[in-house]
Amino acid sequence: MMAATAGFDFHRWRLVLLGGLLVGIVLFAAIFAPWVAPYSPFDLDVTKMLQGPSAAHWLGTDELGRDVLSRAIYAARVSMQVALLAVTVGLVGGTLIGMTAAYFGGLVEQALMRAVDLLFSFPAILLAVVLMASLGTSVLNAMIAIGIVFIPGFSRLARASTQAVLRQQYIEAARSIGMSDVRIIFREILPNIMAPLIVEAAVAFAYAVLLESALSFLGLGAQPPDPSWGNMLSTGRGFMAQAPWLSIVPGMAMFICVLGFNLLGDGLRDVTDPHMRE
Amino acid sequence: MIRLVLTRLSGFVLTLFAASVVLFVTINVLPGSAAKSALGIHATAQAIQRFEAQHGLDRPLLVQYAEWLGRILQGDFGTSFQNGVAVGPELLKRLPVTLELATFAFIIANLIAIPLGAWAARRHQKGADRSITFLATILGAIPNFWLATLLVLVFTLTLRWLPPGGFTPFTVNPVMNLKQMIMPALSLGIVSSALLIRIMRASMLEVLSTDYVRTAEAKGANSRTIVFRHSMRNAFIPYLNVAAVEFGFLFGSVVVIEDIFLLPGVGSFVLVGIINRDYPVLLAGALAITLFVLTLNLLVDLIASLLDPRQVKARNS
Repeated sequence: MMAATAGFDFHRWRLVLLGGLLVGIVLFAAIFAPWVAPYSPFDLDVTKMLQGPSAAHWLGTDELGRDVLSRAIYAARVSMQVALLAVTVGLVGGTLIGMTAAYFGGLVEQALMRAVDLLFSFPAILLAVVLMASLGTSVLNAMIAIGIVFIPGFSRLARASTQAVLRQQYIEAARSIGMSDVRIIFREILPNIMAPLIVEAAVAFAYAVLLESALSFLGLGAQPPDPSWGNMLSTGRGFMAQAPWLSIVPGMAMFICVLGFNLLGDGLRDVTDPHMRE
Repeated sequence: MIRLVLTRLSGFVLTLFAASVVLFVTINVLPGSAAKSALGIHATAQAIQRFEAQHGLDRPLLVQYAEWLGRILQGDFGTSFQNGVAVGPELLKRLPVTLELATFAFIIANLIAIPLGAWAARRHQKGADRSITFLATILGAIPNFWLATLLVLVFTLTLRWLPPGGFTPFTVNPVMNLKQMIMPALSLGIVSSALLIRIMRASMLEVLSTDYVRTAEAKGANSRTIVFRHSMRNAFIPYLNVAAVEFGFLFGSVVVIEDIFLLPGVGSFVLVGIINRDYPVLLAGALAITLFVLTLNLLVDLIASLLDPRQVKARNS
């Protein structure tokens, strides 16, 4: 599968590399925020309120004199944490449902997939907003709400992939030597359906960042003074005329992050299945 | 065909019923007390008890649901806990705002996606195709609420061409209505076009590789005839399927955009319901959006079956 025979095929991997670079920058900022950020994201300085970009504050200061660059860097932590947990919830929940439905078929499949279809009937942002209202506003609840939104997509993909794997002879062989259902599902099926699920996870990561930012923007996710790109943008909108950088910086950070994950997802899809793109 | 319609309709009713159960249960386990929200944080325990008894919130969830469903079926969406206003008429008043916004955004998305997607497919693996695919990737990564903010920054604060928000009905002042709607619709439409460009491109590529197109090319048909007469019409069937789902998605995404542009639509109604823990408002708004999306999916399903008889055959066999 990999481009090992003809050496490294840059053209084929270019989207993965570009996406990986952008994602790498965001991940680096998130993990090493205390070392990368020039200031604390909470340090107030009322003498420096709403100052434009300068040598001391590369991306300016906000309405409380806090360094915008430092807050944007720390906000990457929130986004990455939420996205990571949300995608994990969606991936694990969806994969279990999809595999179980396809493996057992019949009534089990009908019941599980109908429930999944039902979740699909709600627009994602509406479902996330209603779940957030139900769970209460916090970063942890945002992770859970977004994760639930992802379950239907992963379930359908896992079911379709499992159905394809079930037709393979090695599954028949596993059954004939008396391997238990649980063992077949986790030892034989799961490793063989991971590739499309990982590709989907990269795309879901991008969507999770967008959803988390939208929830925080509406005041339902990360709560101030904790920085998140969504709440920074929401606050920044109040000072658009005097300090446009407060609106531009968090949006640009979201854009870079989402673009990175989208390119990574697209690139991985191309590399693992060149026909899919067409 | 009648059997297909009846099957789809029964599925639609069942899904709608199940969706109403999910929404009701999810919303009624809200941790923030509706009574506290309506009466203020200093409300006494007695006042809270009275409020809950008055609105039936102290009864078992199943009883509450049955009563709520019974009222909904009679067209009664209840009254707001916050201000006692009837929810049904308020929802009806807001529905056209959201519908106009979603439709406007959908038109913009298609105006961008159909020509660009078709062009990219026609110039497959050439410079134009690569540029358009890259553009779609860029557009898909822009958060619509950030784009909305940037549009306000440019067209309202810098150029002073457009108002920052608000809503004037089209029938009252069409020019003002369009001025107020253009930025919200652009924010939603431009971002939505990203997916539609890819779908249009993929649908066209599939059609362009078919034997009858190759035959037309071999017979010397010009590019315009091939694209417009032989390809586009057939590419539209899969495209419309996705586009209609995208329209539903647009209808559901209005929550954030309506909040930014102060549009009095269903999305902002849902948000007000959440912030105030106003169950009747939240339930009615969320149910209206879900009903719209489900109806749209049903229609798409039926229309696609009508357009493509193979789908009916496949389902029946």
